[in-house]
This record gives sequence, C-alpha cells and structure tokens, in this order.
Amino acid sequence: MATPTSIRPVIGRTINYTRLFSNANISSLAILPTASSVQSRCPFSTTPERSMRRPRRDGNRLRGLSSIYRSGPRFRMNIDKSEVPQPADFKPEIKVDPNHGLWDFFYDQENLLLKPDEEADHGRGWSVEELRHKSWDDLHRLWWVCVKEQNRIATARKERSRMQLKTGTEETAERLAEVRKTMKAIKHTLTERYYLWEDARKLGEADPEVNLSAIGNAYTPSDYLDPAMYESAPEQVEAGEGTRQQIAGGGAEAEPLTEPSTTQPQGVDPSTMPPKDTDSPQSPARPLG
Amino acid sequence: MRPTQALLKRYRKLPLTTKDINKGFYKGTRTGSMGSHTKYGGYVIDWAKVRTYVVPAGLDEFKLTPFVTKRMPATRGRYEGYALGPKSPELYLDRWKAENGLD
Repeated sequence: MATPTSIRPVIGRTINYTRLFSNANISSLAILPTASSVQSRCPFSTTPERSMRRPRRDGNRLRGLSSIYRSGPRFRMNIDKSEVPQPADFKPEIKVDPNHGLWDFFYDQENLLLKPDEEADHGRGWSVEELRHKSWDDLHRLWWVCVKEQNRIATARKERSRMQLKTGTEETAERLAEVRKTMKAIKHTLTERYYLWEDARKLGEADPEVNLSAIGNAYTPSDYLDPAMYESAPEQVEAGEGTRQQIAGGGAEAEPLTEPSTTQPQGVDPSTMPPKDTDSPQSPARPLG
Repeated sequence: MRPTQALLKRYRKLPLTTKDINKGFYKGTRTGSMGSHTKYGGYVIDWAKVRTYVVPAGLDEFKLTPFVTKRMPATRGRYEGYALGPKSPELYLDRWKAENGLD
C-alpha cells in the first residue's frame, strides 16, 4: 500500500472511467468477454472491501444524496454551512369546523380531557322500571346518547394512556359501567316489551272486544253505542260521537305510548294506571304511579 | 409433544388461536359476514347483511342523559292486580284499550 488513502479513490475512478469507455467500445461490437465484464464490476483496489465494492448501476447523479438523513451535498460548496439559507418555517393553518360531528368524541372543545373529580361526577344508570315508561323513540335516542358517551369515554381512555396520565382510570371505568347499565336496561326493556306485545296479541285474539283483522279500529268497547243505530236517541248519539272523537284525537297523536290519551288525567303515566272502565272518564283515577 | 398438566394450565392463559385447536375451528374477528365467497375466490356483498345504523333524528334537542341523578332512588313500579307484574299481557292489553286501541 504505497499510495496514500486520499489518492486511492482517484486512481480507482480513473481506472473505472477508462474501463467503462473501453467497455462501451466493446459493447458496440456486441462482444462481451465474460472475464473482462466480471473484472469491470469492481474497480481495482488492494483493500479487499473496496475491491469487492460494486459500482453504481445507474447514472443517477443524485444517488446517495438525501435531505432526510443529512448526507450533505456531494461537492464542496463555495459558501459555509452557516451561510446556507434556512428553509422557510412553513406551517399551514388548519381550518377546523367548530360544529364538526367529530367534536362529539370530546366533552369540551377547550378541555379535551375531564379531570378525575369531573369524571366521577355522574349519576347512576337508568333502571329498567324507569325505562318501561319511555317510548320507542326516546329509548332509541337514549341508546345513541349512550353510544356517544361511550365514545367519549374510550377517547379519554386512549388519550390518557397516550399522555401517560396515571390518574382517572378508575373514575372512567365507573362511568363506563353506569353507561353500560343503562344500555343493558334499554335492551331489557325492549325485549320485554316485544314479548309482552306477543303475549298481549294472543290474549287479544281471544278477547271479544278486539278484532285484529278489522280494517279500521281493532278495538270496539262492549258498551260502545253506534250513532247510526240510535239516531232517535240524541243523548246516546252524543255519547257515541264523543267516543269517536276520542278515537280520532288519539289517532293524530304521534306517540301513543308516551302521551296520555284523552281519557287519562294529565301527568299520570297510563302504563302504570290502566283503568278497567275505559269509557267512563268520570271515574276517579287510581293513583298508582 | 403432549404438554403436562401444569404446562397446559399455563398454556390456556394465552388467547386461543387457530393453531391451538383442531381443524374446523373458526375464530373470526367478531364482525360477522357481509356476504359470501364465490368459488372463484371473489366475494359477493349481500346488502341485506351489511350493517345499517339508523341514528334517530332530534338528538340535539334530546334532554335525557345516560345517567340519572343519585339523589333520586330507583323507582319501583306498582302493578297491583296483575299476576306477572310488568310482564303480564293483560296490562299491555288494558293499556292499549285505555289508549283507544291504537297501533
């Protein structure tokens, strides 16, 4: 190794260049001897690693240059490193819609996480008995409110583990447990209501007052007076029309399960208080609920 | 190799995989199918199987929350005169009649 290390690559490059040039001449003649091509792969060097190094396979002049791993420019530059202009500090401002639906994954737009005492500040879950008096629409919406609350809890849990916050995990678990209780009660209520409907339908088929295959009203009270049959008796006609108006007024109601019907006194849930004698609104309501 | 009893006990603490059990075990991802495989390797989506989530309208104005205040104890319903309590079909039918036989 007589040549110093700085000169060695230069020699190798020169040899490589001449070899490439001679190779080009030979390839124009379409004669490629195997031995010379094998030799041309590696520039001559007495150092084993350099001798076995493969040459660049393409003419890419930017090969090995990277702005990511700070390779630096390949050639010596005229200006010092400190004189190189800095890249602009460009940070695009992200437009955020304050009314976006994804904000529902957080409790607040300013405070993305609840404090543990705020987290623990919640009530108990709904009981089945309380949900029995809710309409389908209310239960449906309550279910989705629970789903959103679950999402918020899951987001908080994820965020807390990401920020490696140790506090608040138990409070979150308790909160989630109450939400799960409510959801379980909703499912219980709806299942029970469905089975109840099936049983009541069977019961109604045996009921003489109920005609389920009727086109109009399936329910005809036993003390119902048809106004067409009793035209001669005006008081009875009025009574019959009153009943019919009640039926019509009930038909206009959107939620027959929640809103108490006209025969019911206001403020008392009809489910807990089914009066046996339907067509006598004067009868005192039993205070059951 | 047949693991010993003690090894098996330790082994069962791991989640069950398809390699742990005999042929035919389908573990799945608890997601259910959305269609069927064809014999050519494709997949036909059955739109009746694809989940549809119906979000009710009016969630913004909805007042109820998943929680009830702890100051109010859980209410107990009174179902006097009904043998099965809230599960008695007579209750349902009477209420239906009380609401003029709608629905």
